[in-house]
Amino acid sequence: MSEPILSARAVRKTYQSGDRRIEVLSGVDLAVERSETVSIRGESGSGKSTLLNLLAGLDKPDAGEVIWGGGLGLDVRSTFLGMVFQSFYLIPELNALQNVLVARRIVGGIGSAERARAKDLLARVGLAERSHHLPSQLSGGERQRVAVARALMNQPQLVLADEPTGNLDERTGDSVIELLLGLCADTGTALVLVTHNAAHAAKTSRQLFLHNGVLQSAPKPIQP
Amino acid sequence: MPWYFYLALKQLFPTGRKFPFFTFMSGLGIAVGVALLVVSTSIMGGFGYEIRRMIVDTQGEIQVVAQGAISRPDEVIARVEKVPGVVAATPSAQGVVMLEYRNKPSFPAIQGVDLATVSKVIQLEKYVRLGSLDDLDDDSVILSASLARSLGASLGSQVELYSPLLIEKLKNDEVFLPRTVKVVGIFEIGHQQLDQSVVISTLRLMQDLYGLGADVHHINVRIKDGANEFEVADAINRVLPGRDQRAITWFEANADFQSVLRFEKYMVFFLLSFIVVVAALSIMSSLLISVVRKTREIGLLRALGGSGRQIAACYCVQGFLLGIVGTLGGLIISWLVIYYRDQIVRVVAGLTVGQRVFLEFYQFAHLPSHTTSFDIVVITVGSIIISTLAGLLPAWRAARLEPVEALRSE
Ligand SMILES: Nc1ncnc2c1ncn2[C@@H]1O[C@H](COP(=O)(O)OP(=O)(O)O)[C@@H](O)[C@H]1O
Ligand SMILES: [Mg+2]
Repeated sequence: MSEPILSARAVRKTYQSGDRRIEVLSGVDLAVERSETVSIRGESGSGKSTLLNLLAGLDKPDAGEVIWGGGLGLDVRSTFLGMVFQSFYLIPELNALQNVLVARRIVGGIGSAERARAKDLLARVGLAERSHHLPSQLSGGERQRVAVARALMNQPQLVLADEPTGNLDERTGDSVIELLLGLCADTGTALVLVTHNAAHAAKTSRQLFLHNGVLQSAPKPIQP
Repeated sequence: MPWYFYLALKQLFPTGRKFPFFTFMSGLGIAVGVALLVVSTSIMGGFGYEIRRMIVDTQGEIQVVAQGAISRPDEVIARVEKVPGVVAATPSAQGVVMLEYRNKPSFPAIQGVDLATVSKVIQLEKYVRLGSLDDLDDDSVILSASLARSLGASLGSQVELYSPLLIEKLKNDEVFLPRTVKVVGIFEIGHQQLDQSVVISTLRLMQDLYGLGADVHHINVRIKDGANEFEVADAINRVLPGRDQRAITWFEANADFQSVLRFEKYMVFFLLSFIVVVAALSIMSSLLISVVRKTREIGLLRALGGSGRQIAACYCVQGFLLGIVGTLGGLIISWLVIYYRDQIVRVVAGLTVGQRVFLEFYQFAHLPSHTTSFDIVVITVGSIIISTLAGLLPAWRAARLEPVEALRSE
C-alpha cells in the first residue's frame, strides 16, 4: 500500500472552559490514501470540526501528530489542501470568479492560465454564467459551489469539507455533494467529508464515526 | 500586486459597487481636514505674502536707517550701490503733516521720494490709480485713495500742508506759511492700513517742510531677484559710513507684525490638524468594526494560507489608501475653495454682515492666497501617515485572531 496522503496518530485535544476540561479528541487515528474519499459522522459537539481543523493544520493537537504527504510542512497548506465550510465564507466584496482566484492570489501570482482555470472550475460547478455575480446575488447552493471551486483552485491533493451541506436544503445539498465528489474523482483528489447525511456518507469510499473522542468504523453502539 | 493590497483595494472599492459609501465617508473626514489645513495656511500665507509684497514694493527690501537723519545721502548711496546684490538705492524722508482741504484737516503720514531715483527702487507708479507720478513736482502731492475720499479731494484740488516745523517757528514768533500744493495723483496699494492716510511728495518738499536741508531719513534699497535680503543687508552694514547707520531688512523693519503672522499660522495649523486626527480616529473605529464584522473571512484567509502579518498589512493598506483618497480629495476641495475664494467670501459676507461692513474690517481688497509647496508636502505626508497609523490598531487586532477561533465565530 502506498504512503497515506494524510495521517493522524493518537491525536488528542482538550478544551478548557472555565474550570471544566473537556477532552474532545482522545486519541484519533486516521490515514487517508491518495484519491480516497472518507466521510466522518458524529453528533453535534462530538469534535468533528475540531478534528478537521487539526487535520488542516489550523490548530495544534495537545498530543499526537498530523502528517501531510509523508512529511510536508505547514507552508504548503494552501497548495496541499482545499477547504469547504458549512457557511461558505465567500468574500462579499469579490464576485464569484474573484473569490475562486483569491485562493491562488494568496499562493502566488495570477496569470491568464489561472484565470482560465478558475473559469473552467466555475463552469464545472455550473456557474459559468454567474462568474461576475457577487455572493449576495447568489443562492446558498450557488455560493457553496463557488466555495467548492475555490477549494479546488490550487489543485490540492486533499479537500477537507466540514458539513458543506449544513446550510442547504436537501436537494441543493445533494447536488453540491454530487459535484464535490465528481470533481474530486475527476482530479484524483482525496476528500474528507464531515456530514450528518447518511446518504452523502454512503457515497464515499469509507465511512467513519467520531464518538467519545475516537474514530470508529461503526455507528455508535445503541445504548442499552 | 500582493493579495493583501488587492483585498484592501477591493474592500474599499468593492467590485460592482458604483459608489463606495464607506470609503467615501471615511475619506471625507480626512478630506475636510486636509482642505481646511491647505486653505487656511494658504490664506494666512497669502496675507503674509501680500504684506511682504506691499512692504517691499513701497519700501524696498532693505532700508538704511539712522538714529537721527542721514546726512550726505549721496555718499551713502554710492557705497550701498557698490554692494553686490544691490540693484538701486533711493533716499526718502518720512513724517506726519497736517493737510487741509476746504477747512477740513487731516493728519496723514507723508513720504518724500527722490523723483530721479525712486522708480528704480519703489513701484509707486504701479499703485497710482489716477493721475501720474510724472506730474509730481515740488508743488504737488499724491494722496492715498481713502484720504482723498475722506477729504473729498480729487485731481487738481489745492490742499494746504502744515509741517511740525510750523509750530517750532510759531514759538519763535516767526511767520511760516503753509504750503499750498496741488493733487496730481491718487494711489491705492490695496491694504486698508497702508492706504488709510498717506501723502507722497517729492523729497525736496519734504526736506523743506521738515527743515532737513540735504539730509534724509531713510535710504531704500532694491536688491536683485533671488538675492538673500539678510546677506545683502549684512554686506551693506559693512560699508555704511555713519556709526549710527544700519541696514535692516523689510522683515526686521516689520518684525512684530511678521512674528504675529507666523505665530497665527502655526496656531491655526496646530488646531486644524486635530481635524485630521479626529478623522483618522473615525477611520480607526470603522476599520475595527470591519475586523469584527469580517472575523470569519479573516479566518478563511488564514485557512487559505494567508499569514497574520499579511492580514495586518491588509488593514494598514486600507488606512493608507483612505489617507491617500482623503488627502487627494482634500487637495481638490482646497484648490476649488482657493480658486473661488472671492466668490465664496462675497456670498458668505452677503449672507451675514453685508459686504460693505465686511470690507471695512477686511484688510485687503481681495482675499490673498499663497500656497507654498512646503505646506502642501507637510499636510499631504502628515495626513497620509496619520491615516496609516489609524490602520495599525485594527491591523494588530486582525493579526491576533486565531484562525480556528475566527472560523468558529458567529
Ligand atoms: N475554543 C473552544 N473552547 C472551548 N470549547 C470548545 C472550543 N472549540 C470547541 N469547543 C468544544 O468542543 C466540542 C467539539 O466542538 P466541534 O469540534 O465544533 O464539534 P462538531 O463540529 O462535531 O459539532 C464542543 O463541545 C465545543 O463546545
Ligand atoms: Mg462542526
